[in-house]
Formats: sequence, C-alpha cells, structure tokens
Amino acid sequence: MIDKIIVDGYCRAEAVVIDHKISFFGEVNPRTGKTTEDIYIGGKALIFPGTRGSTVGTYIIYGLKYYGHEPACMIVYEAEPILIAGAILADIPLFLVKREYKELVKHVKNKEQSIILHERGREVLIVE
Amino acid sequence: MDQVQDGEAQLMYLTREQERILSGEEGWVKAKALRVIVKVGEALGADELVKIRHAHVSGISYTNIGEPGLKFLEELAENGAEATVYTTSNPTCIDLAGESSLIDQGYLDQQLLVNKALEKMKIKPTYTCLPYMLRPPSPHEHLTWGESNAVAMANSFYGARTNREGGPIALLASITGYIYNAGLHKLEERCVKTLIKYEDKLDDLTASLLGLWIGENIDEIPMIELSTIPRIQDVKLLLASAAATGSHALIVIKGLTPLKTYIEDINDKITIRRKDLIRTYKDNIWSGKNYSLAYIGCPHLSATETLRIIKLLEKKYDRTMGKIILSIPPLVSSLFRKELEALRNKNIEVITGTCPVVARFKYRPDIIVTNSGKAFFYLRKLHRLDVRLASLNSIIG
Repeated sequence: MIDKIIVDGYCRAEAVVIDHKISFFGEVNPRTGKTTEDIYIGGKALIFPGTRGSTVGTYIIYGLKYYGHEPACMIVYEAEPILIAGAILADIPLFLVKREYKELVKHVKNKEQSIILHERGREVLIVE
Repeated sequence: MDQVQDGEAQLMYLTREQERILSGEEGWVKAKALRVIVKVGEALGADELVKIRHAHVSGISYTNIGEPGLKFLEELAENGAEATVYTTSNPTCIDLAGESSLIDQGYLDQQLLVNKALEKMKIKPTYTCLPYMLRPPSPHEHLTWGESNAVAMANSFYGARTNREGGPIALLASITGYIYNAGLHKLEERCVKTLIKYEDKLDDLTASLLGLWIGENIDEIPMIELSTIPRIQDVKLLLASAAATGSHALIVIKGLTPLKTYIEDINDKITIRRKDLIRTYKDNIWSGKNYSLAYIGCPHLSATETLRIIKLLEKKYDRTMGKIILSIPPLVSSLFRKELEALRNKNIEVITGTCPVVARFKYRPDIIVTNSGKAFFYLRKLHRLDVRLASLNSIIG
C-alpha cells in the first residue's frame, strides 16, 4: 500500500495522525518535539497530508533529529521539497501513500492504539 | 553512505559523473546532498539534472533558522561540504556595520557562527539580496537561487533560468553543482499566458503598486507591456513586490526580457492604469508631512543607486521630516565609506548586509514609509507595523 518509498528505513512505532498540512517552521518545536496542538511526534509513525509554508521547515526537521525528537517515520499523501530534503538530511523514513491514505487514517483513528511496522525494502506498511 | 537505499526506485537519468558522486566517491556529504536533489527532482517530475553556474543561498538569518539551522550548517561545514560553483549569500539578521538604532544585535554571536560556517564552505560573504549585482547571469544560464526578488530578476531581466528555491536546496545545489531540470529550467514552462498593458508613467511608487497588484491578482506568467522603457531600479521594485504578494518567479517585460528565453501563448489581456493602482492602494499611500522612519533599500540598493541617492540626499533632504534608513550590501558600503559617513551625521542611517524583514527591531516605529512594495508587504505581515508607500522623491522632501 505504499505508493512510493522516498526515504527507506525500518520503523516500528505508534501511529499519530495530524489532519492538516504541517508547516514545520512555526508549528513544530524541535526542542520539545511537540506541535502547536501539543502532540508529541518524537518516535511516532507520523501520518499527515503534507507540508506547507517556509522552507526553513527543512531545518526544523533536521532540528528534531538533532534534539532527539524525530518521528520514527513519516507517512504522507503529498511530498514536496521542504519535507523530502528534511527527511533525507535527518534520515527519517518517508513514505508516500496515495491510494489508501484515507483508509489508513480511518483505520488508525478507529483504534485506541495502532502500531505501524515497515521493513526496509518492502512496499507495504503493516498496521497492527 | 549508500547511494540509493533498498526500496527507493531511481527514476531519473544520471550521468556517470553524477552516479559517481551519488555512490560516495567524492565523500558522503556530497553524496547525501545529491541524493536530496535527485529525490526532490523526482518528486517534481524531472528526468535529469542540469549543471548550474551560480547558487545564491537564502535562509541564513539566525532569527529565522535558529539553532537547528545553525547546527545543520555547522555539521555540513565540519564534514567538508564546500561550494563547487560560485555561491553568494543573502542578508543576515544583524547590521554588519553594527551601528543601527533599529536592528537588534541580540543574535550577533549566533549570526556570526552562521556566517563562519557559510564562509568555511567557501560561500562568498556577500550578504546581499542582489546576487546579480556581483555576477550578472547570462541568458539561458541555469542557476539555483533562493530569495524571491533575485529569482524574479534572474529570470525576467537577465533571461537566466532558476526556480524559486528555498535556502537548503540552494545550498545543496551549490555543494553538488547540479539542480533538477524542472519548472523554469525548461523553456516550455516559461510560457506567458497573460498580457498586462500599462501605459502611464512608471516611477518607483507606481512600480511597487503595479508589482503588488500583479502578485495579488495574476496567477499565471504575465507579460507587461509598458509605453516607455523602465529604469532598472523600478523594474527591481516591481518584480520584488510581485514576488512578495504572489509566487511569481518570471514576469516578462516586453522589450527588456531577452528574446527566446520565454514563449508566448497569450489568452488573456488586461489594461491597468495608474489611477486604478492609486485608487486600489489609496489607504496605503503615505500623504503626511512627517514619518518616524523611512526605509529605502528593499531590495538592497546597488552601487549605482546608492551613489544616486547619496547625491540626492546631499542636495536636498529635509531632516525635520524624519529619519531615513538606507539598506545596502557590504560591498557598496566599502565603496562609498566616506560619503556614507557624511550622511550618517545628517539623521540618515546606513545598515549593511542585513534585512529588516528578517531582523528583530529595538523599537517599534509609529509609521514606516517606504518606496518598496516588498518591504510594505513583509513589514506589515511579519512585524505588524504601520507601513505606508511613497516615492523616494516625496520621502526626501
């Protein structure tokens, strides 16, 4: 169900959904790993539609890694330059899920806790 | 550093030289930088990379990039990353002359660390938003520039090819020497769709207004037809303003933009008059007698403009109207040291290598007057200041 592996890597983490496009610059604090909605994204399988806003966002993603609060992986519906650059530089697995994005979000939201598992090289995400 | 990780499909055609870099033969930093360029290029649908001649790195103000940005730049520099093409740097968040009454120098130490990392990577300490003043690009030449006003000048005035890139991509392109062949790098993407006729007098104020209006109202690539040949300083204000309120990176100016650097497929024609612009922005146009601050030099004043303004200010300037701030590149500051020193004694402040838009202020001026639509847009948006537009002539008195 992965449409494209942009940055490959292993991930086994609790899923967290953010329902809107994220501007990492201004909406995520790299020192605390928290969003403005007070959601902690460190070590999580972060599911969100994509990014927007300032290109400084790339540095913020890198900053999350620097301060040890980077997500375990990022699963997005759309990937644009700010996000791709940040993910590669910070070595955070980044997966594009287009066809089954809605189902994935729905599935994760319906469960109290969901674990996302991805193995290097595989084009599927296992949702537990 | 492995070149392409297990599950990542490679879609782009790469030359042997690029494959070699990607496989880490020139070090892992360069390999990683190229991997970013390739991956972003693939996401944008590029089929190959093109060699660039000049990179301009924006996003270097500590106020914006903070500690994560500084750490990123320092790590690159420590691991041997270096510019492989001519690379210039955008303004910083501090006045490099250190004499400003407006610009807060609180981040001086941190900004100097940013500068040190950049200079270690052999990026020229130009600290200006006018990279084209230092190395004017040639038509068709591929560049990777951050800084929207410079991008618009490169494409529209010089006929060179660059997208509006962010600071990190511009830096990584500088390290690798390559950028993806997508967007404005391709002639077929440089296609004019809308013709805008403007038949009245164009001065600095109307150039800014026209730019603001285009940015707010036109989405596709426009061509402007003017009745007279515009002055370069007015073109600069027009493009900077349009690039601020819109996402424009190319605005063809008929008779000025080099031929064959764009194609035409015009399906919409609009005529706009000076009186329409004045009416649209009437509440934003300054009509008072005094101001607490007038800001000239957004984008930075070139050497020629600085000289012209020095002459103008020496001849006529009514200091009772208010304080004037001139914003210039370090190079220009060193060219006219004596003349600028004389101005400083006349209620005129000269700031060097900085940009009020990305800096913090020591105080909040009541009303800032400027001839720049770009400064008008960003100082209102980011600093929430009361900003009014006026021509240079009316500011000087």
